[in-house]
Amino acid sequence: MADETTAAVENVSVTIDGMELSVPAGTRLLDACAQAGVDVPHYCYHPGLSAPAQCRMCLVEVEKSPKLVPACVGTVAKDMVVHTESEAALKAREGVLEFYLVNHPLDCPVCDQSGECKLQDYVAAEGPAMGRSKEPKRVLGRDDFGGDVLFYADRCVMCTRCVRFMREVAQDERLTVVQRGHRAVIDTFFDEGLTGNLWADNIVDICPVGALVSKDFLHKARAWDLDRTPSICPNCTQGCNVRLETRDNQVMRIKPRPNPEVNAHWMCDFGRLNYQWINRVDRIEAPLVRDGSGRHVPMSWSEALMRLADALRGQTGGAAAVVSPFAANEDVGALRRVMEAVGGGGGVFRCEQGEEVTLPGFPELALRTDRAANVAGAELFGFSRAGGADGKGGLEGVAGHAGVLFVLGDELADAAADFGANASLFVYVGQHLSPAARNAHFVLPSTTFAEMEGTFTNVQRRVQRFWPALRAPGMSRPAWQILGVLLAGIGDAGAPGTAADAFAGLAAVRPEFGMLAWGDLGAQGAALPEAVGQAGD
Amino acid sequence: MSATPIRAGSEYDPSSWPEARENPGFAGDTGEFPGLDEDGVRGLSYVGERPADGGHASVAGTLPYQVATRDPEAPLFVGPYEERLEKVLGRYPDRQAALLPALHLAHELRGYLSPQTMDEVAEKLQLPPAYVRGVASFYTMYNLAPVGKYLIQVCTNISCNLCGGDAVLESFLKHTGTEPGEMSANGLWTVMEVECLGACGFPTAVQINERYFENVRPEDVPAILERLT
Amino acid sequence: MAYPYRHDSEVRLLSEHFGNPRARTLEGWVELGGYRALRKALGMDRAEVVNVVKASGLRGRGGAGFPTGMKWSFMPKKEPGKPHFLVCNADESEPGTFKDRELMRWTPHALIEGCLIGAYAINAEHAYIYVRGEFFEAAQIMARAIEEAYAAGYIGKNILGSGIDLDITLHIGAGAYICGEETGLLNSLEGRRGEPRVKPPYPAIAGAFRYPTAVNNVESLIAAAQIVENGAEWYRQWGTEKSTGTKLFCVSGHVKRPGNYEVPLGFNFREFIYDVCGGTPGGKAIKAVIPGGSSVPILTADELDIGMDYESMAAAGTMLGCGSVIVMDEGTNVVKQVRRMVDFYAHESCGQCTPCREGTAWSAKILKRIELGRGTPDDLDTLLDISDKMTGKTICVLSDAAAAPIVSSIEKFRGDYLALMEAGDLALAGAR
Ligand SMILES: Cc1cc2nc3c(=O)[nH]c(=O)nc-3n(C[C@H](O)[C@H](O)[C@H](O)COP(=O)(O)O)c2cc1C
Ligand code: SF4
Ligand code: SF4
Ligand code: SF4
Ligand code: FES
Ligand code: FES
Repeated sequence: MADETTAAVENVSVTIDGMELSVPAGTRLLDACAQAGVDVPHYCYHPGLSAPAQCRMCLVEVEKSPKLVPACVGTVAKDMVVHTESEAALKAREGVLEFYLVNHPLDCPVCDQSGECKLQDYVAAEGPAMGRSKEPKRVLGRDDFGGDVLFYADRCVMCTRCVRFMREVAQDERLTVVQRGHRAVIDTFFDEGLTGNLWADNIVDICPVGALVSKDFLHKARAWDLDRTPSICPNCTQGCNVRLETRDNQVMRIKPRPNPEVNAHWMCDFGRLNYQWINRVDRIEAPLVRDGSGRHVPMSWSEALMRLADALRGQTGGAAAVVSPFAANEDVGALRRVMEAVGGGGGVFRCEQGEEVTLPGFPELALRTDRAANVAGAELFGFSRAGGADGKGGLEGVAGHAGVLFVLGDELADAAADFGANASLFVYVGQHLSPAARNAHFVLPSTTFAEMEGTFTNVQRRVQRFWPALRAPGMSRPAWQILGVLLAGIGDAGAPGTAADAFAGLAAVRPEFGMLAWGDLGAQGAALPEAVGQAGD
Repeated sequence: MSATPIRAGSEYDPSSWPEARENPGFAGDTGEFPGLDEDGVRGLSYVGERPADGGHASVAGTLPYQVATRDPEAPLFVGPYEERLEKVLGRYPDRQAALLPALHLAHELRGYLSPQTMDEVAEKLQLPPAYVRGVASFYTMYNLAPVGKYLIQVCTNISCNLCGGDAVLESFLKHTGTEPGEMSANGLWTVMEVECLGACGFPTAVQINERYFENVRPEDVPAILERLT
Repeated sequence: MAYPYRHDSEVRLLSEHFGNPRARTLEGWVELGGYRALRKALGMDRAEVVNVVKASGLRGRGGAGFPTGMKWSFMPKKEPGKPHFLVCNADESEPGTFKDRELMRWTPHALIEGCLIGAYAINAEHAYIYVRGEFFEAAQIMARAIEEAYAAGYIGKNILGSGIDLDITLHIGAGAYICGEETGLLNSLEGRRGEPRVKPPYPAIAGAFRYPTAVNNVESLIAAAQIVENGAEWYRQWGTEKSTGTKLFCVSGHVKRPGNYEVPLGFNFREFIYDVCGGTPGGKAIKAVIPGGSSVPILTADELDIGMDYESMAAAGTMLGCGSVIVMDEGTNVVKQVRRMVDFYAHESCGQCTPCREGTAWSAKILKRIELGRGTPDDLDTLLDISDKMTGKTICVLSDAAAAPIVSSIEKFRGDYLALMEAGDLALAGAR
């Protein structure tokens, strides 16, 4: 793809701060500078939006150009010589920064943006040592924009990113600049607000300062106390690339991570704000094995898995299963292999559904009908949908199953109290000990996606990795590890030591996974090829 | 205040100015063109009565921006107003371009642009209400709150200021008993400063509703107010 | 017959009929020789029309002084389905300027003719005249004239039997100086906030409704029509080599006879003020003169021996701008007037660019403080530094315009600033 677009354009050589490089003619100066390792300060420019070149923060000196050039709209030309740190450029940018400070409240100690604020960063990097303004600052105060968004008008730098996002990307123009000149402020249509728009929180992300903040995150944590882990939004099949931002082993917020194939720079508010379940604490912390008297006895992993392997060995009558569409490819794939080792069998997953909402300015992205990340993965590994749109029911076929019964990740919250009571062997791999799960002979604590490494397959058949952001509670382990060790115990496969091993094992069930190398997935995933000779799903 | 010399604080002698023959003034009221009366300058008889439906479509957007008779409750875009808007719409490649004319129409009828009015205009032109608010608030001629029957805008920009614009402003404030931007208790007057009206050679320029008064001196103010009421 | 005063030194090409109500009507205008230029133009090649205007050396009268014929020649070749537009800039809002208003109120048909010729030259089928909203009276006169011209077949389908369709629409602004800037004007015409656009693309490539567009000032278009009628050489007989023809100068402030005067470019500035405009009332000494509208650097009384043309003004460190001469006599409180101008720019800044939005408002606050006697000398350094950071760094030149009076007044009238600081109270604030 890169070839197609660049082949037509000729490469030109440019010099940026003394470094010579060759880039396609017409490349945005800001991008060319980035390639030269120079981060030119900018506010109004955002790669996902139009470039109004209005903040004047990105001015750089271009030789033979009479005026400083805004790097966000300027493009490279043959033999251009650019100085981003020349006296004139630095002075201009220092000027812009001082202008911002004339009215900025500098309430960093109580501002949620502090620590990740572009005004702080740029002023520290190249701002004036002291603002010279002796005049009283203008005071506007705070406004509730509705939805999750709170507006601190005094902190706004008038970059209009938020207005442009709502206009160009959300295409629901609910924000505007009201008034003009120094009286201009960002506002909604009086009381209309942003309520009801599913994408509004993206403006909090793109606001370069603390003018737009999330009510959910308000005063919850300081930016510098957060750990950030690349991950995948678990809340629908779109698989938006995200960062889980955590503190004290809790997810504090979810932020989108750019991926031009999946979610550009954006994510939906539903996915973003639906993270409390990841922090849920009533977790199973140790493997529990039912003893002769019917009591669950905590046990070491080796003991528990040895006993389970003993119980399974020689079983060939097939199994039934319920899996969670939140489970990783490696988890469901490992379960499928275990099931095949005991004679195969069918399985179901249950998924909550809702209305699909597309992001008009980037229609590749939609909050999808299926509100769990790995429906495609579950289907690929032979599990079929059951139950209703509320993610409940559909357990009739398995509840009374008489043979081996696996449950992976599904909490069974709505299951009948006698769920699995007829099973000859009921293995529960999951996080929460619901009444139905208590019927299991083996209760094995597994991690959530946030506590492990693994992949999801999204609605576009894109396989995307996530990384552990939280410490797993107690003895819980990734399901692929639990099931992988089990498989090694009952068959002749080796136990997977890493997620990469687990991923490699998927090819045994679905050959197309064999066409994807773990190393190719990178941070942004890769499309799963169609298996040769297979019609696909 | 009417006794205040045109340039407070200076020993300037106004008698060196050509006599203004009559005020309330109009541009060119200097005696240089004996044949010209106010009608001749303003072209009133030439312009005549413009039809309520706006006349030819090319000029249907030529609206009196602020008139003395208005009704904040009046229905928008009905009858001749609807015709006017339809004509205006026919002159541009898209509906959005009719936004300023449409706001002018609403403003003329209702005297100011309330949130409700902006919403109605937005609906008529199929634009987002917030967008309409952004545009309406950009332009200073759209009042966003009710003003007096007569909106008196006194230019205090440099050319008028050099010739006593501040004193004229003060005189209007004093004679209407108001503060800048505030409506008088009887609902008749709102006085405010305005930027250059493009009549700098005829200082001080004052716009009252849609029409200009020029060469206004502080002492002319009572006569102007009287002429209006 | 300039208006409201006349003077024998004038060369009245544009302003000949000022003060003559008869010239307003179609009938009167035709009697006076109107619409001959249009007939002639329609008989010429479009390129020929552009070339005549180019050869005349006519430079845009809206402020920038860019050659009008050249601007027209930048219009791309007409492609099917891609309309061209002519937009007449009648937003006249620069403090000190009041020429376009008089042109429209006295000679509306001259502007119609200019628009038709301009539209023909650039192959546009629609011309918009963007009149500032406050000019209700002028707009009424224009409206009446346009209706008359439509009825008589000068505008509309198949004009004057030429087979060419041309429409004119009067568009009324709503109160924003920045809509005089050509791209701000285009945004406003399109029903947007009147914020200037980033250039490139220039209007000739993507103008009104993103189609090729030429934006021309009222005076430029009327002059162009006269040039088409009388030829480039005829026009070149006035003015200087690079600043050809005549220009309307708007005179205001402390002069005996304020008003519009039309003189050839290159006319001596001192003579103009003292002779044509009658000098200051009461014969007081001149303290300062702004030669081209509030956006240009101020001159002192010693700097008036220059020609009123683009080059001479530039050589004197200022600009001809739109020819708006504002005279201040010795009693003037320059600081107050500069503050008033900067207030204006702060009020009119569209607010997109940080240096302009914040710089104008900040400077205005400092100037107000100085005016009230609470300034200190280092405020002047701050002002100069702010001005530097506002100049040449923004989308349009309003920011530069706001800085110009600050810088030039501090350079030339530093004493006035310091006096206010020394007085330390309101002593001088009462002065005009
Ligand atoms: C802040 C600003 C205000 C302007 N105001 C006007 C104006 O009121 N009238 C005008 O004709 N040109 C104005 N101009 C100049 C226009 O941008 C443009 O140069 C002009 O309309 C071109 O016409 P011309 O080539 O015939 O001069 C302004 C420019 C700026 C930067
Ligand atoms: S609220 Fe934030 S994103 Fe919006 S204009 Fe202000 S600084 Fe920019
Ligand atoms: S669209 Fe789906 S994946 Fe993306 S943020 Fe929303 S819920 Fe998450
Ligand atoms: S310089 Fe000022 S007026 Fe011009 S675009 Fe920038 S902010 Fe607007
Ligand atoms: S980022 Fe370039 S001007 Fe704002
Ligand atoms: S300065 Fe008052 S009208 Fe221009």
